[in-house]
Amino acid sequence: MDLSLETRHEDGHTIIEVGGEIDVYTAPRLRDKITELVSDGNYNLVIDMEKVDFLDSTGLGVLVGGLKKVRAHDGSMRLICNQERLLKIFRITGLAKVFAIHSSQADALADL
Amino acid sequence: MSAGAARTATAVTVTIARDPALVRTVRLVAASVARRTNKDEEFVEEVRLAAGEACALLLGQSFADGSVAPGEPVAVRISFNDTLVVDVSTSGPVDVVDHPDSDVDGVEPWALLRGLINDFSVGQDGDVTTVSMSWPL
Repeated sequence: MDLSLETRHEDGHTIIEVGGEIDVYTAPRLRDKITELVSDGNYNLVIDMEKVDFLDSTGLGVLVGGLKKVRAHDGSMRLICNQERLLKIFRITGLAKVFAIHSSQADALADL
Repeated sequence: MSAGAARTATAVTVTIARDPALVRTVRLVAASVARRTNKDEEFVEEVRLAAGEACALLLGQSFADGSVAPGEPVAVRISFNDTLVVDVSTSGPVDVVDHPDSDVDGVEPWALLRGLINDFSVGQDGDVTTVSMSWPL
């Protein structure tokens, strides 16, 4: 499955719903989307990964890069992820401590 | 873009051009072979992730910026008996040490594989670099 990206705005946050596979081939598209949003002044991002089937280290790099971009503007990036196989990747790489990872959009938006 | 596959009684070998779009093909093949071991889906997912990750690393981290580097194909051999073995190889030297400045947007390229696989090694034989990973069955 290819990568799908849907963006909407809610409660002052920009939610990117990501679906499919974030890998060495597709990750640049996610990075471009984040870069575009930040360039347009959207500094509080919520990345919803509920429909992500696959994530590799290139995808992790894009997420970390996005976090650095929004923090440079005193913004935030929250992740929504409740799939154990993806959470395991965040734990292995030590990034579970770097990102605010929530189990649902309601949870992420409530923690503002 | 080109991909070729050959299967023997105990092993599957896939060779892909240096095109990041083809890494997904490697993952699909790796998952398919892993399922033949009759182990659980968590195991299949680990093999799928590891094979794709090793392949992506040998293709080159430069793909993170969308560029495509020319070069030799990447070969992936997956076999199993008492252990499931995935060997990913390509021509040319590969720097497998994560230097302080080698991270891509803050993620050390080899950290995921090192953390994921207990039996993981990188060997150099002449001009060929091979990433070897294995799992007991």
